[in-house]
Amino acid sequence: MINLQDIEKIYQSDNGTIHALRGVNLSVEQGEIFGIIGTSGAGKSTLVRCINMLESPTKGTVTVDGQELTSLNEQELREQRKKIGMIFQHFNLLSSRTVYQNIAFPLELAKCSKEEIDKEVLHLLELVGLSDKKDQYPAQLSGGQKQRVGIARALANHPKVLLCDEATSALDPQTTKSILELLKDINRKFQLTIVLITHEMQVIKEICNRVAVIEGGKIIEQGRVIDIFTQPQCSTTKEFISSIINHNLPDFFKEISLASDPSADSNLILRLSFIGHSTEEPVISSMIRRFSIDASILYGNIDHIQTIPFGTLIVELSGEQASLQQALSYLKTRELGIEVIGYVARNARAVG
Amino acid sequence: MSQEMLVLLAKSLWETTYMVAVSSLISALIGIPLGIILVTTNRGHILENTPLNQILGAIVNATRSTPFIILMVAIIPVTRLLVGTSIGTNAAIVPLSIAAIPFVARIVESALKEVDYGVIEAAQAMGASPREIITKVLIPESLPAIVLGLTLTIISLIGYSAMAGAIGGGGLGDLAIRYGYQRFRADIMLITVVILIAQVQIVQSTGDYISNRLNKK
Repeated sequence: MINLQDIEKIYQSDNGTIHALRGVNLSVEQGEIFGIIGTSGAGKSTLVRCINMLESPTKGTVTVDGQELTSLNEQELREQRKKIGMIFQHFNLLSSRTVYQNIAFPLELAKCSKEEIDKEVLHLLELVGLSDKKDQYPAQLSGGQKQRVGIARALANHPKVLLCDEATSALDPQTTKSILELLKDINRKFQLTIVLITHEMQVIKEICNRVAVIEGGKIIEQGRVIDIFTQPQCSTTKEFISSIINHNLPDFFKEISLASDPSADSNLILRLSFIGHSTEEPVISSMIRRFSIDASILYGNIDHIQTIPFGTLIVELSGEQASLQQALSYLKTRELGIEVIGYVARNARAVG
Repeated sequence: MSQEMLVLLAKSLWETTYMVAVSSLISALIGIPLGIILVTTNRGHILENTPLNQILGAIVNATRSTPFIILMVAIIPVTRLLVGTSIGTNAAIVPLSIAAIPFVARIVESALKEVDYGVIEAAQAMGASPREIITKVLIPESLPAIVLGLTLTIISLIGYSAMAGAIGGGGLGDLAIRYGYQRFRADIMLITVVILIAQVQIVQSTGDYISNRLNKK
């Protein structure tokens, strides 16, 4: 649906040149919700603006729904933009127009008749749940309501793609949730492709199918949300994920001296990560039954990415070294992520 | 006060009103588009054109920095060209308009600059053309500020029109100087000042009222 190829963006300003995007390749499938996450200044705003050519890339091609936008003139581009909806962090509603008139705005631009506009706007008002606010002005609405108007306005021309520029960043967590629900709803109902940029991992976790991590104008990592969450590769990604899932060792491990090799008299500390169905399998208890070892849980965490459960567990296994190694080999045959954190002398541990 | 004086007062009041009304209208008709051009040709704006922007900016500044009484005399040839005479109420309208155009342009410019660029961007994202952005976004969004700016312009023009007497333009200011000051008629002086104050008050209150009604923020 959306294809970005070798996108470069260089700004010339008084204080020199800024290389905002350095060769971005991205492709978004029809009907998916694609997230782009990055810190401020990473280039994500520029990137999303390249998709509807609010920023024209210095180099590279942008293709949306089979139409190469980078080759169009101003007039043709304006026609294409009508098929791409966009919502903004600060809503960007017209303060001099009522809710109704704001939603009617893109339809006026598309030269729709009064009757068509009326029918469409009333329908959209109902969709976003603001039918009773139609004659109010934006100043009389709350942030969440304003964003709902923004969404209705963006949908007015039946776009194929909806771009969300930090659409929930100015909202409180409760409102964020309801706006995300609405977006998910729209995505399902109209098979609408959504691209959203954010700096909040929570948003990605809540509704995205796939995610790209952008840093310094480059996509450093991309993939299915569940994969990125459970096996982040880059340190920036890990940092984002740690904002909602703790991948670091709990602090008390810092006080323990860990060895990387086993000795006769040491316990094994493991981190197990579960995804999807493996969370339902009683791995720990069957391990304990099979091998004569003990397991104590040091840290645990189970969460859901949309409907897929996943979790991490840090366990300390104690017993004969040979049994420990057998247990480890057994665990490796299961559908789990396993990481040996280290070995700790049995008497060196104050905990457990 | 004599009948004759009252007639004179009425005539002067009419002259002032006429001069101010016509020159306000002309300066709005030219100054508003000029202000729009000043904003939209700015760097990074919808019709970016730096040379045009700088030239217009320089002209506006030059006109604004010329004292009105000097401007009025300096442009007499232009006035003669436009209205056929350099004396009288109609002749006074030319310098009044020329002085007010850059004033309106700057006021409109600053009003339009207050429109959040995000709103313009949103309109662009919806496929609005520069013309549609100007007529459907910039002007409606800044209308309350533009109205206040025009109110200020009218009030300034009431002040400037008092100097129109220097080229025989008549009006209340002229009456105050010729009768109130030069003929020591304190009563005339007083009454013209009171009328001028009342005029300014009425204009300001009307402007405030309209602007408030338009403001939905």
